[in-house]
Amino acid sequence: MLIFRAEEHIDRWCETRNIKRGETLTPQQGWQLAYGWYKDKLKPEWGRHTLEEAEALLAGVGLTAPFWNLRD
Amino acid sequence: MTQPPSAVDAFARDVRLYVFGEAADTGRVPQPPEIAAALGHSQAEVEQALRQLAAGKVMILAPNDGNIWAANPFCAVPSAFQVEARGKTYWGICIWDALGIVAALGTDAVIRTVCGDCSEPMLLEIAGGKLKRSEGIIHFAVPAHHWWDNIGFT
Repeated sequence: MLIFRAEEHIDRWCETRNIKRGETLTPQQGWQLAYGWYKDKLKPEWGRHTLEEAEALLAGVGLTAPFWNLRD
Repeated sequence: MTQPPSAVDAFARDVRLYVFGEAADTGRVPQPPEIAAALGHSQAEVEQALRQLAAGKVMILAPNDGNIWAANPFCAVPSAFQVEARGKTYWGICIWDALGIVAALGTDAVIRTVCGDCSEPMLLEIAGGKLKRSEGIIHFAVPAHHWWDNIGFT
């Protein structure tokens, strides 16, 4: 996941690499998602998020489009 | 009824706690020889534990050896996603992990990175658990259920 200065920079990056454009987040959404994902990683009792927990984290920051579907 | 952890699982847990503890405390991700010396086990045992942890997506190993590439969110090698916190420098493998380092450390931080397209410097700042300064847009090129197909590209 990269960060870009503006939408047109994303378009140019995708075009020059022949990569289909994906989905975007605001930095605030990125911070909220990273916070939920990683805030416990240093704790001894840490365990990987369940699929349902991961889905809830994505949905919690408004990422509900099919692109964010974690299931096959 | 919960089964007690096997000796193998217990050692993998010890390795996990050592690796992540060192990464957080020093900004440097330890590699097998150092982990083996610190925990008093053979390097082969440590490498086996690291493979177990990588299989469980707890961390990511470098493609061609038993070294840790990322005890994600902590990257073992310098990257374009630099996190300054606690008077130390940390590295993430992507912007999500750079933000994740700040979340895991639970501290104020400045993230210095560059635009993925034009390489112009960009800066984000987190203080008091809040994103105080930011710019730009984060782009995910890979759909979520394919993230681990090639985590390096993701």
